[in-house]
Amino acid sequence: MISASGLIKRYGPADNRCTVVDGVSFHLAPGTVFGLLGPNGAGKSTIIRMLTTLSRPDAGQCLIDGIDVAAQPMEIKKRIGVVPQENNLDRELSARENLMIYGMLHRVVHLPERISAALEVVSLWEKRDTVVSHFSGGMQRRLLIARALLTEPTVLFLDEPTIGLDPQIRRQLWDVIRKSRRAGRTVMLTTHYIEEAEALCDMIGIVVAGRMIALDSPENLRKIIGEYVIDFPDEYGNQIQIICRTREEAHEKARALPNGVTIRRSNLEDVFINLTGEKIE
Amino acid sequence: MNGWYPIFLREMLLFKRKLFKLGYLFSAMVVPVIYLITFGLGVGRSMPIEGTDYITFLIPGLVAMSSMTNSYTWVASALNLNRLYFKTFQVLVQAPINPFAIMIGEVLAGMTKGLFASILIITVGLLVAPQFHLSWLPALTLILNCFLFACLGVIVGMITKSHEDTSTYNNFLIMPMSFFSGTFFPVSRMPEFLQKLIAIFPLTHTNILIRKSAMDSQGLLALAVLIAYAIVFFFFGSRLIRKYSE
Repeated sequence: MISASGLIKRYGPADNRCTVVDGVSFHLAPGTVFGLLGPNGAGKSTIIRMLTTLSRPDAGQCLIDGIDVAAQPMEIKKRIGVVPQENNLDRELSARENLMIYGMLHRVVHLPERISAALEVVSLWEKRDTVVSHFSGGMQRRLLIARALLTEPTVLFLDEPTIGLDPQIRRQLWDVIRKSRRAGRTVMLTTHYIEEAEALCDMIGIVVAGRMIALDSPENLRKIIGEYVIDFPDEYGNQIQIICRTREEAHEKARALPNGVTIRRSNLEDVFINLTGEKIE
Repeated sequence: MNGWYPIFLREMLLFKRKLFKLGYLFSAMVVPVIYLITFGLGVGRSMPIEGTDYITFLIPGLVAMSSMTNSYTWVASALNLNRLYFKTFQVLVQAPINPFAIMIGEVLAGMTKGLFASILIITVGLLVAPQFHLSWLPALTLILNCFLFACLGVIVGMITKSHEDTSTYNNFLIMPMSFFSGTFFPVSRMPEFLQKLIAIFPLTHTNILIRKSAMDSQGLLALAVLIAYAIVFFFFGSRLIRKYSE
């Protein structure tokens, strides 16, 4: 279970403080996969940093499994696994050495067996003794996930887990995240890939300029804006979307439009554009 | 508190990788050996100092200087890079271990690297200066010096805001200490007003103690100063780690 209430984080000198996270609140039931969606610089990573003990909030409270993150960080650290946005593996150590050090820091029991299992999950067992600097970007991301899963955390945080990866590797990582959910973990991830949020998340939070402007299941978010979308080109060839509440409404409006009209179900990208007025990059 | 071991082990694994590259051994020895040749075998060849030949005077100073620069630089530089660029320090902070354990692990690793470099210089010293020998007091001083400067390395590694910042501390702290604290000549040869300033430097007291074969009142004072510095640096470094927040 993850809960945040009124989280605020400011950076900068006292006379010119910049509010990066501005009163963010949410509550996640155990076993939820929660996606924070937002443009670059929206404050998604800062929220993750506060929840994972790396950054102290200026105001507000975070609870994980009912434990206050600020008051009992040591208890929180025992429960969480973190995949950061930046690759923070030791590049001059092998995959196995990276996991060994991490496992020792977290006092993982039966460490050799757990390392083998974690490397098998991300298909890196064959490369266990290869130095990480010789890994491709995708392999390094997989190793980061293996490292986060090594401690069998109850809550898994992934900050842009598939950024810059090719579609095949991305789908492999999605499978690992789905397995995590099936194992009963609460997963919180940040992404600016709409299709990633749609493929994985039970709950979506849309963050813009440090504020959570929407928080619901993907299905409910679609219902909020309207479940159907009419796409058609205007006289200049630009693609126009009209969002409609029902299929009947969409058909009725489409009849009045010129040829080339398509009707489809709305998706998270429509939700995002509708709520923020901007396309996610 | 036993969380220090994986941190120490990590540093040693990384150190082992570097050790087998010839460049490391060379870089650890090059500066003190240049000083040894220039000052010991060149400038001061037939210059007696404090009742002994110059090279026998110089070698303990070079050992102290080498232990200082290696203990300090390895920790300050690595911690700064790991915190700001590689982000591996965040892995330690997010592990369920006491901040003291992080401090101990980093300091022990820094000490090991400082002692390793010192042993290289001691080996060279034993070869070129037959009168030079190492008793328990200089050995103890060496360990304390490595501890103290590794702690200072943690402080600088934690407070610097960029990697370039660390060179500022090198230029204003480490470099003056190397030259003025009695490494190359006794502090008593400096003008009196400077002697008082130089007495603030911890390396000055290391150089006093490392050249003693038996403890006396001057040695006791130097030891007390070094212990005081070590305690202050250790707790200040630990506090910086405990208060770490992004």
